Amino acid sequence: MFKNEQDKQIKKVETIIGPSVKVQGDFTGDGDVIVEGIVVGNLKTKNHLKIGAGARVQAEIEAQSAFIAGEVSGNLTVLEEVELTASAKIKGDISASLISVEKGAKINGRISMNGAKKIEGQEAKTGK
Amino acid sequence: MYLYIYDTFLNHKKYFNVLSRLENRLADLEIKGKISRLNILKNMKEVIEDGVKQGVETVVAVGNDLTFSKIVNIIAEMNVTLGIIPIGKSKIAEILGIPEGEAAGDVLAQRLIKKIDLGKINHQYFIDSATIDNTDVILDFEKFQISPTCKNAVVSICNLGFLTTNQSIYRERISIPTDGLLEAVIAPIKSGLFKKIKALNKQSIFPFKKITVGSRAEPVTVTIDQQAVFKTPVEVAVAPKKLKVIVGSNRLF
Repeated sequence: MFKNEQDKQIKKVETIIGPSVKVQGDFTGDGDVIVEGIVVGNLKTKNHLKIGAGARVQAEIEAQSAFIAGEVSGNLTVLEEVELTASAKIKGDISASLISVEKGAKINGRISMNGAKKIEGQEAKTGK
Repeated sequence: MYLYIYDTFLNHKKYFNVLSRLENRLADLEIKGKISRLNILKNMKEVIEDGVKQGVETVVAVGNDLTFSKIVNIIAEMNVTLGIIPIGKSKIAEILGIPEGEAAGDVLAQRLIKKIDLGKINHQYFIDSATIDNTDVILDFEKFQISPTCKNAVVSICNLGFLTTNQSIYRERISIPTDGLLEAVIAPIKSGLFKKIKALNKQSIFPFKKITVGSRAEPVTVTIDQQAVFKTPVEVAVAPKKLKVIVGSNRLF
């Protein structure tokens, strides 16, 4: 059920962080971002973020929407919807407007659904 | 006014028929111009500079990818349009939608001109890509750094893009030579039978305007368009809409 939905969401991939790459620092993207490798620092995108099953992210994350199947250590701020699959492991607080959690996902942190703050330089589209 | 530059390898007699057919086709299309055959004593830069002084507005390179790469560096700073006629297989021509041999003449005659980006490394331009065959490389994007975590990988900095089996990178508009961005592509590879190198699908792609290429230890070599070689650290930047080039309707972008 998650696979088809995530394919629909990814419209224009700009950055792909593959499994053989490590990114360190403040990564900021304008388009959709796919993470299959390692990210340490901050990860921010004005569009959709997909974190694949093999990915390891130690970062503060900000995105318009997110699909998470990998490991995340850090707070997750999502303007719209966040989807967590069974393989997702989150160690940090989640802030989003809408959350889908598949059976088996591990979350260690607080979940707030008051509507995430707008991402820097971007108007909130949801209005929630 | 057209100036046709034939690369040195075309002096071989096996290309005589191909070039005769091409010249006939250009004459039929009424886009014939001055022909300059390069040789050891005839320098491409001098030929083009002389042609521009005489009023040439379109320089047509006849040859292969190496020919096109060399000519780009010379005409990037000039106000001329580039046309290319590939003799044999050419990746640049395929991306620009130019067919091989005499059929390229028809595309030239249509004069569909696009302004495309070029890459720039230490004041040298490149049309296609810069490659680094060493995983000790570090790509510094100012706010973040990228390094390969596998032992065998090819790091490319692409302008025109890279050819894949289904060309999805063009359909999804990931790599477009008119978007004002270059792409850093890290492709893990594995050696197959008979030392053939296979690129794996798990590529990483990072669009950028300017980066610094450095290394963890010893300086690594950066090869641009299979001709010029630089040692790290080098600065790589995009030169947006720097080159006027004639493209075909079958171009990939």
